[in-house]
Amino acid sequence: MNRIVAIAWNTFREAVRNKILYSLLFFAVLLIVSALAIGNLTLHEEVRTIRDIGLFGIDIFGVIIAIFVGVNLLYKELDLKTVYTILPKPLWRWEFVLGKWLGMLLTLAVQMLVMGLVLGGVLAAEGSRFDVATAKAVWLLFVNVMLVTSMAVFFSAFSSPFLSGFFALGCFVVGRSIPDIRALGGKLGRVGQGGLDLFCAVMPNLHLFYPSGAIVGAEEVSVHRQFVGADYLLSATGYGVAYSIVVLVLAMLVFRKRDFV
Amino acid sequence: MSDVVLRADGLAKTFRLGFWRKRVEAVKEASFEVRRGEVFGYLGPNGSGKTTTLKMLMGLVFPTRGRAEVLGRKVPDRAAKRRLGYLPESPYFYEYLTPEEFLDLVGALCDVRRGERRKRAAALISRVGLDHARGRPLRKFSKGMLQRIGIAQALMGDPELVVLDEPMTGLDPIGRKEIRDLMLELKREGRTVLYSTHILPDVELTCDRVAMIFAGRIRSVGPLAELLTARVLSTEICLARGTGVTPALPPGASLRDSPDGMLVDLPAGSDVDGFLRAALAGSCGITAVTPRHESLEDLFVRQAEAEASSS
Repeated sequence: MNRIVAIAWNTFREAVRNKILYSLLFFAVLLIVSALAIGNLTLHEEVRTIRDIGLFGIDIFGVIIAIFVGVNLLYKELDLKTVYTILPKPLWRWEFVLGKWLGMLLTLAVQMLVMGLVLGGVLAAEGSRFDVATAKAVWLLFVNVMLVTSMAVFFSAFSSPFLSGFFALGCFVVGRSIPDIRALGGKLGRVGQGGLDLFCAVMPNLHLFYPSGAIVGAEEVSVHRQFVGADYLLSATGYGVAYSIVVLVLAMLVFRKRDFV
Repeated sequence: MSDVVLRADGLAKTFRLGFWRKRVEAVKEASFEVRRGEVFGYLGPNGSGKTTTLKMLMGLVFPTRGRAEVLGRKVPDRAAKRRLGYLPESPYFYEYLTPEEFLDLVGALCDVRRGERRKRAAALISRVGLDHARGRPLRKFSKGMLQRIGIAQALMGDPELVVLDEPMTGLDPIGRKEIRDLMLELKREGRTVLYSTHILPDVELTCDRVAMIFAGRIRSVGPLAELLTARVLSTEICLARGTGVTPALPPGASLRDSPDGMLVDLPAGSDVDGFLRAALAGSCGITAVTPRHESLEDLFVRQAEAEASSS
């Protein structure tokens, strides 16, 4: 366990020294703060606008940072050959992958915490507060980011950063559009429907993590009114964790057989 | 306890490179043993397969054929890795860490307790002469300093076997001497050292036994004294300048000027006694007679030529 913690902590230390991450965080904060000005342009919808833009900012920048971190931090170890020093130590290769992933997750957690705090500050400035529904929404976005990071780590275990980023982004776009893709099935006939169902079952259903506006349990949920309950939160988190574990295990299997030339 | 700490048995590695998966045989056949307590040199020209062999032994690259054992365990094995220290070729470390932070990370990976890690890190930083750079991030280190911290990290787990890939690369003569001394010190401490290099004078000064690899194939393994032929390749005779008459040179001999006088080089098989008698009869002053045996460099070149002609 100590070895995994050591790798995770070192990964976090490496990530927080990355200037690109700070730039991304800066733009995320800028977007969330700008919601204050945009909200003032609306008629009695200031808080709603701030919450929507804030959560959108946390979502989009969270995913961008997750892909950036997931793709780069593992690849850099291979590219800069630091892995040659680390892997001959008494360490399993899977411990290394898990440690890197946990370090990335810690980095993302801190980044999302910062973005959440900024959103809370902006809401407070408008006379509102960071309520339970918003906290639930941010938690779901964090699980979403965890899953995207796992995908990025999996792809970077065998491909270049560009391709890994491309694949991970593709998975995010497809995963977020699962309900729309499913809806297409009706127009494709039985075989097409079957194929599409299989595709949707294999791809990560990231729509689960952005449920605002969707029908859950025959009711429309919204972060502004009635949001998802604890059971939804638990099942979505369980899905995200289980999917991440499967993808991570695949990444570990790829990494286990890899030659470090 | 086994006398053999590392065994490579018919190791081979073929890479598939590029879009067309072109086959490249980096190592064709590497078999050798490293015995406890010795300094073992793994010699070969650039691109001969030294680093790939060491990577196979360290579990970084999987062999296509053959078997590798380190400290009695089949590679890769975690228990064996715990008793092993490795310095990769041209090492690159986490540049944002200071030597203390880096050694602490390595110590944690080697399952060294926190308190012990601090003590070992401080001692190793002093041992490799980096006390002055203790708090400096590694990105500000010169190549020689990185090589030293690389050796320190290899020793952090208090290993029985230390494997160093080209440890002299990028070092000035003083740095090279320090690394040589360190290797001999490790040997005195009872550790086994395996290192790869193509810097032959260092090998002559440090190694008990060597293996030579050319174009991916090991051509000779053994103690240096056994590998170098005892036969005399030539005899060098130094005649004092301006004294007597220089005798006629036998076939194949050469004569050249040197600061000490006239140097006569008689090839193997020449009548050295006859030449010396003739020189003395001609009143020549003889200041030195030096038989020249095969050096490691001669052997290296001979093996390289043999490999080139056989391929």
